Amino acid sequence: MKTPARILADQVNRIQKSGRFSPRSASLPTWCPGCGYFGIHQGLNDCISRLGLPLAEIVTVSGIGCAGRYPFFSNTYGLHTVHGRALPAATGVKLANPNLTVFAVGGDGDGLAIGGGHLPHIARRNIDVNYLLFDNSIYGLTKGQPSPSSPIGTKTKASPYGTVDKPLNATLMALSYGASFVARLFAGDPKGITEALIEGVRNPGFSFFHIYTTCVTFDKNFKTWTHLKEWTHALSQDYNPNDLRRAFNEVLNDDFSLGVIFKRDI
Amino acid sequence: MSVKRFVIIGNGPAANHAAEALREKSSESKITMFSKDPFRSYRAHLLPDFIAGLIEEEDLYNRPYAHYNEMDITLRLGQRVVNVDFSKRNVILDHKEVVPFDGLIIATGGKPRIPELFQLFGDIMMTLKTPSDARLWIQKLSYVDSVLIIGGDLTSLSLTKALLKLGKRVKFILNEDAFWPVPLNEEIYRAVTGRLEQRGIEIVHCRRIRRITQLEENLLEVETDSELIEVGALGAFFGLVPDVGFLARTGLDIDRGVLVNEFLKTRFSNVYAAGDCAQVYHPVLRDYWISIGHENAIALGRIAASNLAGSHLEVQVEPENILEVGGVKVNTSWWTEF
Amino acid sequence: MPEVDFTVEVCGMAGDGTIAAGGLINEAMSLGGFSVLGFDSYPAEIRGFGRCVTNSRIGSNDIVALGEKTHALISLNDEQSRSRAPFLAEHSLVFFDSNPPAYVSEDNSLLSVLPPGEEVFGMPFGELAVGASGSSRGRNLTALGGFAAVTGTDPNLFRKVIRDKFKSKGEKVVNINVKSFDAGYQYALEKFSDRLKSVFPKIETGHDPQKVTLSGNQAIGMAAIDAGLKLYFGYPITPATPIMEYLAKYLPEHGGRVVQMEDEISSIGAVLGSFYAGARSMTATSGPGFALMTELITHGVMAEIPAVILDAQRGGPATGLPTKTEQSDLHAAVFGGPGDSARIVIAPTNVEECYHFVIRSFQLAEKYQTPVIVLTDFFLDNRVENRPFIRASEGQAASWNVFPDDAFKDRYQRYADTPSGISPRALPGMQGFNFTATGLEHTEKGSPDYSSENHAKMSEKRHRKIRYALKDLEKPAEFFVSDNLDVGVIGWGSTFGSVLEAVEKSRKNGFKVGALKITSLFPYHSETIKAFMAKSRRVLVPELNYEGQLANLIAHLDSKPVERLNFVTGAPIPPSAIQNRIEELLEVVA
Repeated sequence: MKTPARILADQVNRIQKSGRFSPRSASLPTWCPGCGYFGIHQGLNDCISRLGLPLAEIVTVSGIGCAGRYPFFSNTYGLHTVHGRALPAATGVKLANPNLTVFAVGGDGDGLAIGGGHLPHIARRNIDVNYLLFDNSIYGLTKGQPSPSSPIGTKTKASPYGTVDKPLNATLMALSYGASFVARLFAGDPKGITEALIEGVRNPGFSFFHIYTTCVTFDKNFKTWTHLKEWTHALSQDYNPNDLRRAFNEVLNDDFSLGVIFKRDI
Repeated sequence: MSVKRFVIIGNGPAANHAAEALREKSSESKITMFSKDPFRSYRAHLLPDFIAGLIEEEDLYNRPYAHYNEMDITLRLGQRVVNVDFSKRNVILDHKEVVPFDGLIIATGGKPRIPELFQLFGDIMMTLKTPSDARLWIQKLSYVDSVLIIGGDLTSLSLTKALLKLGKRVKFILNEDAFWPVPLNEEIYRAVTGRLEQRGIEIVHCRRIRRITQLEENLLEVETDSELIEVGALGAFFGLVPDVGFLARTGLDIDRGVLVNEFLKTRFSNVYAAGDCAQVYHPVLRDYWISIGHENAIALGRIAASNLAGSHLEVQVEPENILEVGGVKVNTSWWTEF
Repeated sequence: MPEVDFTVEVCGMAGDGTIAAGGLINEAMSLGGFSVLGFDSYPAEIRGFGRCVTNSRIGSNDIVALGEKTHALISLNDEQSRSRAPFLAEHSLVFFDSNPPAYVSEDNSLLSVLPPGEEVFGMPFGELAVGASGSSRGRNLTALGGFAAVTGTDPNLFRKVIRDKFKSKGEKVVNINVKSFDAGYQYALEKFSDRLKSVFPKIETGHDPQKVTLSGNQAIGMAAIDAGLKLYFGYPITPATPIMEYLAKYLPEHGGRVVQMEDEISSIGAVLGSFYAGARSMTATSGPGFALMTELITHGVMAEIPAVILDAQRGGPATGLPTKTEQSDLHAAVFGGPGDSARIVIAPTNVEECYHFVIRSFQLAEKYQTPVIVLTDFFLDNRVENRPFIRASEGQAASWNVFPDDAFKDRYQRYADTPSGISPRALPGMQGFNFTATGLEHTEKGSPDYSSENHAKMSEKRHRKIRYALKDLEKPAEFFVSDNLDVGVIGWGSTFGSVLEAVEKSRKNGFKVGALKITSLFPYHSETIKAFMAKSRRVLVPELNYEGQLANLIAHLDSKPVERLNFVTGAPIPPSAIQNRIEELLEVVA
């Protein structure tokens, strides 16, 4: 006889078996309390849940860094590769089995420095991989060195007199490389991340998510919660993400407008 | 001074001895020999023995390839000189290669003489000058058992001996045209034919040959003014003439051979000729004579080389050793051996 | 029938049809029933504009090594062919164009550098081709006609292979090319009538239909296709590029795809990603690219992800000698990379083995979940052999994946320790087996764990697995081995053919010499190698490297010193050099 409790238990069991229960893994993230990555984690997990993707058909690929640990905190299949090589591995995974949904995650050191050579090529090949670049402008795992997106003058133990190199603009790069989907997001806005991810996952090509985030431990000056909240804002109402020229203009004129910057018409 | 480049055209006794003498006198120079034939220096007088199977082909050759390496002489076989540009001092080869020289010795020797009358039948008549000719004879003799020889020179007589040894039937026409380089008189004719008949050779007495017809691959019909002869093969021996045709338009003085002074020099500086291809001036006779034979060739080759290397040697031949045949003066060392 | 062992070279400039002519010789001789080993080399840096040389050794017995001296040289460009003169045997046959388009100076002529004993055959290659076909393009074929006539080769062999080569271009093209060949053949028959040889007598048994003329590169490409390769990732590098080009042409029709990546790092990264997701994939590279791959190769070792990497070795270090052959990546293949990263390294010694080893490499990678490195080299990849060649069946190329049992669903331990060290591997898409593969040291479950006990345990597990792989790896093969040998020669890779020929010749000279072929370089069968070394009074290891890399690997297996014979000439080791060393050692032994 079916009691309401039994029906509920059956449903839970069915959902569990379907792999749609929770994208979170049993291991709790090891990021510092207050880290922006928690927001990204939530945003991505909600995207997976809302799309109803079976967890066994998702592969989360990462390189090295604080973001590299991401796959351990996700209940999908994970591939934790070496420093800078998430994108080539993700390319292999996706081409090997196109039925899989592939997320690549990594920090600004992993994706713009050591792995910077791979971004143009995955973009021009338009491999259906969703790449989330966690940009906090600092090397966190190695305890605070300047990254390719640190502003000029960044002082760290490795740059005691301030950095002199110009920072890279990952959104601008992705546009230049011809990525078919480019969004700029903020870790403090998990809902915005989820919305953009849902749109990006549906894009049948390479989707790039440039996510501003914090390093609460090693960056007390630049990408702090206070600063990012103050600086970031939504794209204007009439923004049309299908216009590449307009996208370039937007990114050249404004570093902090958030949303889907570009989406190639299909 | 840069290394002197000497070129020798030919690979017979005169050419080889010239090269060797040049190397003795000039250790630093570059010496290159060209021969249109693809074989090494050989002993021509052994060719009939090779045909008779008395010796192996290898025994014909008297200088191993290593000899040239040891002497640092570049021997280039099977490569024909087709022209010499005396103004630019280049030798030009058949395959369009241009080889510069500082000094040149022409020692191309002789080639089988075919009188004008017989030139029509050039393809049918066999000669014997080179190992290649000998190989053709060997091939031919495996199919035929009778041979007609038109000739009278030493080669024709040696070949006849070889044919007899192989058990072939030989017919012989001792022809005035063939009997070269000495004049054929009644006395010699009788002596030679007598000796041939003693050996079982059938002498065909005739004045001229009218017609030669190839009936089959290995059957010829020869019509003389006296009879009709069927034989398997025909050998024709009219002696040798200087092989200098390729020099005809070079500006060199040529009569029968290349005209040289008693020092073997041509009209061009540092260009000499020696051996059977040269016509040498004799200051006493005040005329040119042609050299025939192995020993003469060696002597002339060495003199040409010495003079090219800076000596001033004169060719010494007593006038009485020089014969005149049909308007051509010759000196032959081997004729006396006959 | 007299024994035939004849080497012919064709030399010309790019555009002369040199490689095509060499290929036709290989095919024609193979069709005639001869054994053929060919090697095309491009001594020039830029192949597109430089000198091309093909070398074909043709024999009535099996040919296992390259010829040392050339018996016939077909020169399609005399200036280029001058460089081949030192390699001519005495009394070799030299075919050249007697009517080149322009006059040449003595300094550029081929004939001026030939030793006096060589027999020269001048033919107007171009003119004959124009006469036969209206174009001088067929001058390589008129040259082949001359070669066939002078060497006494059955012209129908050449006519057949020329027809086969051009049949896709239509009957007209076929006829033109056969006519060019015939023009050269007839010309030479007449012109050189008194100098014709019979080098290649008719072999009554004729062609063995199982014999296929194949290059190492083709064999590798065919193997990959027959193994069901789904993805090839690569980056252009000499001499591995022809493998990528072969697959780019043929893989799509078999449902696979070639992706030219941005570098070698991304190539191996994508290979690991593909295998992780369950598809057979591979990459081929050479030393410099291989060096870039080493970090990710060790990632494959640590994360236990299969990969197939072919290293077509060339001269090194660094950029080194891109177009020369060498066996100097052995240390890098076996030891290269961070940490204790034991992986599987195998090395074929001939074209046939290239095929079978590449197929086997996928299976080994799948079963042992580790990168498998196939070591070849320029000489092996670019050589052509005609050997009986049987393609693998689907069954022979079947997957060796070890999947987890359903019983472990939802409690799956990706890196579970087992007696063999092999942990059943799940693929993304399998429900209930989700795991994260990682290059961090990890527990059986797959969670990062840096504890000393765990690292000790998992290191032992990974190495146990590699040792266990020995049972699936080919054992060293013994040749002419008896209970005691005066000299035992150990060879690997492309060099082994030279070893075998040298040993055979020494044995004909009455010496007690044997050979050992090692194809499994890591892990290796130390007991078999040890036994061979024990019964050899002297052990000789010839290699194409300076350091004696195989000798370094195995020398410790016996107390007596290993004799090394190292060549870094960029060219294959001549069998005679090995034979001389063997016989020198014998003098010492005696």
